[in-house]
Amino acid sequence: MYFHAGLILAVIAVSFGIAKALKLSVELSMLVAAVAAAIVHSGGAIPVRHLVEGSFTYLDVCLIFITATFFMNLIKESGGVAFLVRSIVTAFHKSRALCLFFLTLLLLIPGALTGSGATTVLTVGTLVGTVLTYMGISEKRVAAIIFICAAMSAAAPPVNLWAMMAAAGSNMPYVGFFVPLLVLSLAGSLFAMFFLGGKGKKVELSEALKELPAPPEKMNWVRVGIPFVVLIFLIMAGRIWPHSIPTLGLPFMFVVASIFAIFLSPKKLEILKIATNTINTLIPLVGIMIVVGILIQIMALSGARGLISLAVVTLPMWVLFAALWLILPVSEGLLQYAVAPLLGVPLILLFNMKGMDAIIALSAMAVMWPMGDILPPTAVVGRATVMELKFKGRYYKDFLKTSLIPMGFILLIATLFLIFSNELSFLVGG
Amino acid sequence: MAILYTIISVCYYLIIAFITFVIARNLVKTKNFQEAILFSVMLMPFILRILRIK
Amino acid sequence: MTDRNLMIVKIVSTVLVGIALIISGIEFYNHRNFQEPVVIGPGVTSVKTLGDYYTRLKGTINDTNIYIIDSGVPGGTALVIGRTHPEEPAATLAAKILVENASLSKGRLIVAITANQSASRVTRPGDAYPMYYTIETPWGESKYRMGDRWSSPMDSWPDPEVYVHYPSGQLLAYMDIRNFNRTWPGRENGMITEQTNYAFMNLIRAEGVDVFIDLHEAELEYPVISTIVAHQKAADIAGLASMILTSTEFRIGMEFSPPSLHGLSHREVGDYSDAISLLFETPEPFLDRVRGITDEALLLTGKDEFVMTAGKYGLLYEKIDEKGWPIDVRVGRHCSTTLMVLELWSDFNPGKEVVVGGVPRYDEVVSNGTGFYFQDPSKAETENIYYE
Repeated sequence: MYFHAGLILAVIAVSFGIAKALKLSVELSMLVAAVAAAIVHSGGAIPVRHLVEGSFTYLDVCLIFITATFFMNLIKESGGVAFLVRSIVTAFHKSRALCLFFLTLLLLIPGALTGSGATTVLTVGTLVGTVLTYMGISEKRVAAIIFICAAMSAAAPPVNLWAMMAAAGSNMPYVGFFVPLLVLSLAGSLFAMFFLGGKGKKVELSEALKELPAPPEKMNWVRVGIPFVVLIFLIMAGRIWPHSIPTLGLPFMFVVASIFAIFLSPKKLEILKIATNTINTLIPLVGIMIVVGILIQIMALSGARGLISLAVVTLPMWVLFAALWLILPVSEGLLQYAVAPLLGVPLILLFNMKGMDAIIALSAMAVMWPMGDILPPTAVVGRATVMELKFKGRYYKDFLKTSLIPMGFILLIATLFLIFSNELSFLVGG
Repeated sequence: MAILYTIISVCYYLIIAFITFVIARNLVKTKNFQEAILFSVMLMPFILRILRIK
Repeated sequence: MTDRNLMIVKIVSTVLVGIALIISGIEFYNHRNFQEPVVIGPGVTSVKTLGDYYTRLKGTINDTNIYIIDSGVPGGTALVIGRTHPEEPAATLAAKILVENASLSKGRLIVAITANQSASRVTRPGDAYPMYYTIETPWGESKYRMGDRWSSPMDSWPDPEVYVHYPSGQLLAYMDIRNFNRTWPGRENGMITEQTNYAFMNLIRAEGVDVFIDLHEAELEYPVISTIVAHQKAADIAGLASMILTSTEFRIGMEFSPPSLHGLSHREVGDYSDAISLLFETPEPFLDRVRGITDEALLLTGKDEFVMTAGKYGLLYEKIDEKGWPIDVRVGRHCSTTLMVLELWSDFNPGKEVVVGGVPRYDEVVSNGTGFYFQDPSKAETENIYYE
């Protein structure tokens, strides 16, 4: 059993490496690794049913972030995001702290709703980046702020894909995560914003406004606010009157909120084009989720998942506390969301068994993982950031290096949450 | 309530159908062979769900 | 890459995916529609369906068979359900043994082999479950669907943002709205799983059920294992059953149903009906996350090196060695625990006895094998064959 599972892991690693060396994308390299492992496990046959069945693993999660991103894109295309950014700058340009605070909150919204840091970068990243530049913050610091806030937005509640996937895998309700995730993601994003952007020049309002795209004339708080109010109302209604209204599900709620966004938009929106663009921009994300599902299924089939789980749960606790801050981001950079079911589930079982508060512990891990989205080979959010901001500096020596101190801060507080999970269990709720 | 459940369920199938359509269109249009392979794999769960097989 | 080569790649990948969809699609379709024959034993006096107790369920996928074994002698009524979680095969097989073998001399026994049909007709993505398992019998192989813990999304879609249990209002994981043992006592206008629980509650009240038993299996990493979980109304019987079984047949514990944990049968059936409610757990290493190769052999033998290693590190709540946890041991435990609980119920409740004969005990199932107690459908009268 050990030999077989070890062999399968080796096949996965080697075929993934070869595929990457042949310049295949991460998604296809994972697919190649999964198929190779499946063939070796089955003695030359292809377990077709398992390959197809695995692709369903995260279908519902995919639906959530496709519809959520569609909603955010509608807000952006209707001029809502530009309106919000201009309003924040206009209202708070005299107070740097307040301005940075509200820009941080704005950066958190898209990822919090969609679970995707890339969505934050794509919907509000550029506009906030423009404002930050006009606040006298250097290019590399702006890029670092946008990345870290985007990563924290993905970690922020209500939708944290790592926590959702790990919770689902360990038969644990995705309930009670709201406050711990909020505390961690807010602390992390505010630290990054103020540490990197606290000092600079005063905002030149007229110059900044000139650079920011102008929203349509009729755009106002009601038009931009109502879709969000509808969304929050539907989510709350499902909790307050769960037995009087039909089960809607998050994707449908986003669709309903999107309909409001469409009707309230001051300009006519090309819905089909926006929907198509949404799916186009999400293809790397949807693709990786589907391929990760296939890989996980083959690893479960062959015992490779069990071997990894066993290796993780038999590690001494002090080793985990000392190393998770490094292991989690690096594995995220390597495997993306696959790490949540692969490492997260056995860790949760272990933490449960050791009497730790599993919700606090998983929240801490679910904030550490997105830090890896700046690391190779995937670097999904990091790449999106430098592309969207048209960053001209060097990726590692400027962008990544500038991000290191806030990243270290976030990993430190998350590690403290892990170690003191029981003491922090009062945060669990909602 | 039963009618509402049916309507919502139908909406979900429509959402899935639309996503399938866009992925299929991308498959036809893409000039990148890696994307083409990925798109075809991505279609799998969506098609089987629309057909109510899985 | 030239346009021509690109076109070739597109065609080849589409064709390959198409073939994969056809092959797997046929497998999924066959699994969902696979019928397991059940030859009703001499004790079965009538077979109803769950829809008889809640008409909206009639004709739906969860309109499952309800087997009634009536002694004709006044006494109590017991209801045993299997396949609450269809990924726990010992529950299914033990319930089937009851239907094919039990004969009563007092009272009535009602059995649902497949409490959640929908969940029994889907396998879990990402977990690589086998689609079927077979049990050796004296007349050949008997084949069963392997199912999932949750109802199929094809019967219950979408899931809510968060599942709010009815009527307690307790928050649970979104997918647990499809978990038949998180949706008790059910909801008339709810999703199909909630409706199924609602129908079972109707059955319990309509048939005047006195003893309700829910059969399960659990992973060894889960603390509630090898035990009887009892509603406070069933505490005496469960405690005594645990003591007697431990001293005579096998070690089994007893736990109280936590009053604040809602949606589970051992809590809600006891709270919302006159029946006492109990839930039995046997060990199923197949369900452990640290398990090795996921296949039918592991499901049926319960032998796994990785799970054993986890045990050596003190990470399990039940022992495991090279012998594993074979299906016969697990089925036998359920049979004996059911019989013991009904014997004690009968002793404590004169006039409400449920006296069961014909059902093998633990030792018999272990020595003869589970399949020994299944009848050959090819030799049975057509009117005695029902399908699960």
